[in-house]
Amino acid sequence: MKKFLTLLKVSIQSMLLSSTNSRGRGRKKAATGLGAVVVIAGLGLYLSGFYSYMLMQALAPSHMEILVFIFMGMAALVGGLLFTTFAVKGVVFGGKDNDLLLSMPVSSTLLMASRVTAIYLENLLFSAFVLLPAGVVCTILTQSGVGHSLLFWARLVIAALTLPLLDTALSVLLGALVAFLSARVSKGALGQNIVTGLFLVVVFYFSFHLNRMISGLAANAAGIKDSLNWAAPLLWMGEGILGDWGLLLAFAACCVIPFALVVFGLGRVYRQAVTAFAARSAQSNYKLSAQSASSQKKALLRKEAQRFFGTPMYFWNAGLGLIMLLAGGAASLVMREKLLAFVGMEGFPLLPMAAAVICFCLCTCPIAAPSVSLEGKYLWILREAPMPGSTLLWVKVGFQLLLTLPCTVIAGACISIALGFHLWQGATLLIATLLFAVGHALFGMLMGLTFPKLDAVNETVIIKQSLAATLAMFVPMAALAAAGGLYWLGSQMTGWAALALPLLLFALLTAVCAAVLSKHGPVMLQAL
Amino acid sequence: MLRVEHYSKTYPGGKKAVDNLTLHVQPGEIYGFIGHNGAGKTTTLRAVAGVMDFTEGTITIDGHDIKKDPVGAKRVTAFLPDNPDLYEFMKGIDYLNFIADLYDIPAGQRTADIGKYAGAFELTGNLGSPIGSYSHGMRQKLALISAFIRRPRLLILDEPFVGLDPAAAHLMKGYLAELCQGGSAVFFSTHVLEVAEKLCHKIAIIKHGRLVKSGPTAELVGDSSLEDVFLELEGEK
Repeated sequence: MKKFLTLLKVSIQSMLLSSTNSRGRGRKKAATGLGAVVVIAGLGLYLSGFYSYMLMQALAPSHMEILVFIFMGMAALVGGLLFTTFAVKGVVFGGKDNDLLLSMPVSSTLLMASRVTAIYLENLLFSAFVLLPAGVVCTILTQSGVGHSLLFWARLVIAALTLPLLDTALSVLLGALVAFLSARVSKGALGQNIVTGLFLVVVFYFSFHLNRMISGLAANAAGIKDSLNWAAPLLWMGEGILGDWGLLLAFAACCVIPFALVVFGLGRVYRQAVTAFAARSAQSNYKLSAQSASSQKKALLRKEAQRFFGTPMYFWNAGLGLIMLLAGGAASLVMREKLLAFVGMEGFPLLPMAAAVICFCLCTCPIAAPSVSLEGKYLWILREAPMPGSTLLWVKVGFQLLLTLPCTVIAGACISIALGFHLWQGATLLIATLLFAVGHALFGMLMGLTFPKLDAVNETVIIKQSLAATLAMFVPMAALAAAGGLYWLGSQMTGWAALALPLLLFALLTAVCAAVLSKHGPVMLQAL
Repeated sequence: MLRVEHYSKTYPGGKKAVDNLTLHVQPGEIYGFIGHNGAGKTTTLRAVAGVMDFTEGTITIDGHDIKKDPVGAKRVTAFLPDNPDLYEFMKGIDYLNFIADLYDIPAGQRTADIGKYAGAFELTGNLGSPIGSYSHGMRQKLALISAFIRRPRLLILDEPFVGLDPAAAHLMKGYLAELCQGGSAVFFSTHVLEVAEKLCHKIAIIKHGRLVKSGPTAELVGDSSLEDVFLELEGEK
């Protein structure tokens, strides 16, 4: 047990430190790590509280509170899977300290268990942020009094503690599959990208299916509950939280048994799995032919592209917004009639909403922010290269823009056509979103330089959990919200002011980021 | 070729890693830099390569001040750290082309040089594989090839023999000599004193960040051996 706790402590320390500034010391370091957790927790609590409230308002009158817990349980399960499946490859199977720890006198099952427990703790965070606000909402809004007892909270806590076990078991199995494919398929990144794409298609299909069910909830709550037999464990969880201890026990068994099977089953072959997933032998059949030359900037851009498209974790975490932009643009043209019917109501602010949707998608593309930390142990290569530091920074910003600007233009043009915008409206949409895209890239680069994480144990922690990537995603969202506020303020004055104020804000923020990056960026890079 | 004048490096917290170091490396020289662990060798090499900032002293490479004209200095330099981490997502050939592009090496020259060095180090067949699949020795060879194809005026190597098999080490020594015959210089650190004694024209010994002895190898060693001189200076003998 002592060994397990020591190993777990190492895994947790590695996870916690992943959010901090690698150069920071003492209070600053702790504050940056805490800040990242607070940002994620705040957002998670807000989203969960908001949706739980909406659902509970619709379902409490018909005493169908159980559906809130079932849907929130599903959200926690799917969200946790999305959050941790691709982390498993790095955290459980691809740790840089594998050789060190596997050589120590601890059983591989114990080592595996400590790392899986670290994943469990991540899922637990997600489960708590989703299920506990639902409990609070239930306590406040319920009309049957189910949320007013201590036992209710005891059962809810048991559910929140056990659900992540199931999540962890599934994400470890899926993560092992991803790791296996990466090692075995000759085009590892391509194969992994395809698997990830399919996985996301399934998740999105499931989410849309869930949305349809939720939209018909109030009218047919009992029927929907009956149709959820395929998700029996979650049904048991809902019944259990509301008072059925037997079903809660059955649900707990459904979570604990798969977790135990995965830990002890994979633990027995952990050493073999780690070896197999890491084993890639160099081929020896290359024939050298005439090489071609290109410029420094092209070489740096090509390197960024190789890393982005060749690292599925990076591509899907920082590039999903680009796919959403293109898919959203195409969908707006294909489903034009439905879209017009949906937004056709009087006074609906089409132009700012279209801009907000595009900008939101751009916020989810922090490509430049983690790129500095991803250099990590390779930074010496760029430092000894005969080029000014500013070249590297602008190439990284340029790479993000190379991806985001065309997608922004395509999405903006498609949405403008679909919504029948006038030329000036389309132009305004493009100017606003392109300005935002440029500002987002510059801000991301600044975050990457301000909160570097050059000593991360794997890429997962940089891409998914680093403070730079988190801030590059959420601070621009806050700027977007501020622009929304300015739009509202402007609309109280004149029509043109409503559009001009957000545009001015974007232009100002972009100019400030560009000025700071130009003046301080190279010095910050040198200081890393 | 390389002039280090009154160079000092103090780390945050006040620890002085290198104190008032002055040494000159002439064109055509192989200059060995030896010292115990933590003596300040790597700190010096990294400062010379322009990888690490420093506050005191000046470092000039082929007339280019590493602080005032870092790009000019780096253009004539190649540096290999003691454990060169190379982009694992790149294939070997992609990495060599990446480096060649950063140094503006013409297509014909790079093709010829990659062929020459990769052939000699028996790595040509592996250049199509991702670096992530390379063994430690293969990575070391690839890093060396990437340094040689730059035809540097100054080659800076930190523990270059670690990880190389005897044949590759022998080959590398030959290429270092060839480089120096062409007027370039080599400045390297090593713990392998026998190699330093045989290979280097000049040697500097550093202890606790201070230069304790330097000069032509023959003068420094005299009738003794470099190992004896080193251990004597270290107070171990």
